[in-house]
Amino acid sequence: MKRRNFLLLGSMLGMTHYLHAKPSSSFERSFKKVEATLRAVQEHMFPQGSKIPSAQSMHTIQFLFDTVSHETYDKDIRKFVIEGAEELQRREKGKFLSMNTQEKEEALRTYEKTRYGSNWLSRIMTLTMEGLFSDPIYGSNKKEAGWKALNAYGGVPRPRTKYIAL
Amino acid sequence: MKQYDVVVIGSGASGGAVAHTLTKAGYKVAVVEKGRLIKREEFTKDELAYCRRDIVTPNLFEEYHVIEEKVDGKWEGTPTYDSGWSFWNGNVVGGSSNFMSGMLHRMHPDDFRLKSKYGAIKGANVVDWPISYDEMEPYYLKAEELVGISGKYEKHPYEPPRSTADFTQPPTQENAVVKLLDKSCAELNIKSLVTPRSVLSQNKGHRKACYYSNFCGSYGCSSGAKGSSREALLMPALASGNLTLLSNTYVKSLHTSKKEAVDYAVVVDVLTGKEKQLYADLFVVAAQAHESARLLLNSASEFHPNGLANSSGELGKNLIFSAGGSGQGELHADKLKEIRFEELMQTGLFVNRSILDWYFIDHWWDGTFKGGSVEFMFEHQNIISRARKNSEENGQLVWGKALGEKLTERFTKQKSIRFEIFNDWLPNDNCFVSLDKTHKDKYGMPVGRLRVEAHPQDLKVGKYIAEKCEKVLEEMGAQNIYSSVSSSPPQNLIAGGCRFGDDPKTSVLNRYCQAHDVPNLFVADASFMPTGGSVPYTWTIYANAFRVADHIVKVLKEKQI
Ligand SMILES: Cc1cc2nc3c(=O)[nH]c(=O)nc-3n(C[C@H](O)[C@H](O)[C@H](O)COP(=O)(O)OP(=O)(O)OC[C@H]3O[C@@H](n4cnc5c(N)ncnc54)[C@H](O)[C@@H]3O)c2cc1C
Ligand code: SF4
Repeated sequence: MKRRNFLLLGSMLGMTHYLHAKPSSSFERSFKKVEATLRAVQEHMFPQGSKIPSAQSMHTIQFLFDTVSHETYDKDIRKFVIEGAEELQRREKGKFLSMNTQEKEEALRTYEKTRYGSNWLSRIMTLTMEGLFSDPIYGSNKKEAGWKALNAYGGVPRPRTKYIAL
Repeated sequence: MKQYDVVVIGSGASGGAVAHTLTKAGYKVAVVEKGRLIKREEFTKDELAYCRRDIVTPNLFEEYHVIEEKVDGKWEGTPTYDSGWSFWNGNVVGGSSNFMSGMLHRMHPDDFRLKSKYGAIKGANVVDWPISYDEMEPYYLKAEELVGISGKYEKHPYEPPRSTADFTQPPTQENAVVKLLDKSCAELNIKSLVTPRSVLSQNKGHRKACYYSNFCGSYGCSSGAKGSSREALLMPALASGNLTLLSNTYVKSLHTSKKEAVDYAVVVDVLTGKEKQLYADLFVVAAQAHESARLLLNSASEFHPNGLANSSGELGKNLIFSAGGSGQGELHADKLKEIRFEELMQTGLFVNRSILDWYFIDHWWDGTFKGGSVEFMFEHQNIISRARKNSEENGQLVWGKALGEKLTERFTKQKSIRFEIFNDWLPNDNCFVSLDKTHKDKYGMPVGRLRVEAHPQDLKVGKYIAEKCEKVLEEMGAQNIYSSVSSSPPQNLIAGGCRFGDDPKTSVLNRYCQAHDVPNLFVADASFMPTGGSVPYTWTIYANAFRVADHIVKVLKEKQI
């Protein structure tokens, strides 16, 4: 399977490979442009009042940014995360952010019907869950709230540095 | 010129066993390992780092394989950086053995003579081994005692014979689910056996007993209980003062300036990029089967135009994997029999059960053929991957409050039990390693091109056993049972590529895993295996490497080279 297809078909395993290329400041600029959309998608997927912690309270957007901007993160997926959000904004003619929950649900489910959208949403789901259920050291499993909700805890010894200080 | 008596390439299970024996016998050995050293105290249970970011394997854009599969009747090669399907298993000091689950079995005596037992199979290149189980038995025992394999011997018609009454390390602690599993097997007239495991149940020298961390397979061990090459073999070898451990050192090729001998290894310091030569009397390749064949192919010279030690043309051929598949079912709190739900949910303890009843099938209706073995275990306890796996339904993502409901239900009201099937991967003409003509790794060396076709018989056997395992899960009261048997190879159980045999025309290595063509060259990993048995390979890898090492000591002592 070719790489592009692999990305588009989405990897359930969330397998990532890394390419040592520091993301540029232009990445940060493009991230800023879609940050609100990404945040809204995460908050729709992981709302408040659920049995698992919400994206908002766990600040999963920060985890997402830290992860995809890390120099070891797959550069193609980094780009895909941004482009998929831009595509969502475009499809919804810039109105996604102002939609109510029901409208957002419809917009995302329609997006999911496209193969591209489905894979992008899968990727966002993976990136959010990685935050909620990884070691608190990564920032989005605050006070082990993600683990507590599932009554499943990471093993010991716990990491003392992220990615064991590559 | 000579710097060492012996240079060993690769620090994993096989390299460690060779280094241990030779250094204890007083020889100066260099173990060359391309990966870095991660010490016991540095390993953690960081799921993100170890299981989702490949920090212990190479960056796939820099080092990779090309995998050939048949698409619409044509062989199509895809680099692993494209597919995401990695054939690296742990490239740090100690190799993949750091990360194994450690379920180990000896091969059965009849596995050494499969062709004599079952005759030729159309489309498969089955041959008998040049040695018998009896020659391997003392080394299975050595591995058991030295590496530290815990277990409990129980009589069974297909359990290989052993020269001591029982294991020196008793079995690891077990989850109460084994009561339910054993009872269910008994109901079905199946014998469940305790799994031998390369995990210490009791302290052993510098290594501490297992503390049941709940995250074993795919993780390094923080107590030294897991029988990795690093803990069990390299550390004592280092203590002998005879071992030089060259980590972060990649071997590009082996150099020959005459036909009969390797004179040096060409290596690169991974951190500085500096190239140098390592001279020794004898060279042992232990880079894991597919990479060992690749290294020899990359070591072609005017004396060995088709690859080092390849006068037979067999180098890289008959690569094998462990065939089989897996399945699982859910044990729900409200339907649980025999044990309490709290007992089932206790974390860390092993399931520790295997079934050998279907190792050889001889049935009036089903026929007579080689079967396989089965391991039972809980679903891997990784939290992110379990959560992610349970966030889809009918091809759609589940999100919102429904996701919260689904995940909490899945994690707190049930636990999944799994089985894994291991059966022979029949060696065949469409499963081999060669060198890719265009793709090179970051050191400029052609990457391995792996063609990975399975024989149809492998699937038939896997499915036959899966059906029986599903019945066990049903009897246990499990729900949503499914199994999957496929012809995709597991990347972590690889053998073959440098067959051993008595005839230099049809094999690469002799019975001591010494190259027929080059007497100071040995291959110590699973490459030698002409057939793989129906169990995971690693006990055999350890045992055989100890056997080979004993022979190397003899060769060095008697100055045969
Ligand atoms: C997650 C996991 C679970 C497993 N579970 C089990 C199990 O339950 N039971 C079982 O029997 N087996 C299991 N295994 C398999 C087991 O780990 C391997 O069979 C065994 O470690 C192979 O030993 P080896 O010496 O051939 O290779 P390895 O242990 O992989 O060592 C090879 C070493 O050589 C190094 N190397 C390669 N090329 C070069 C080069 N050119 N220059 C320098 N160094 C090089 C590599 O970096 C590596 O460190 C498991 C493996 C994994 C990954
Ligand atoms: S402590 Fe036990 S369970 Fe944990 S990694 Fe070591 S051997 Fe495996």
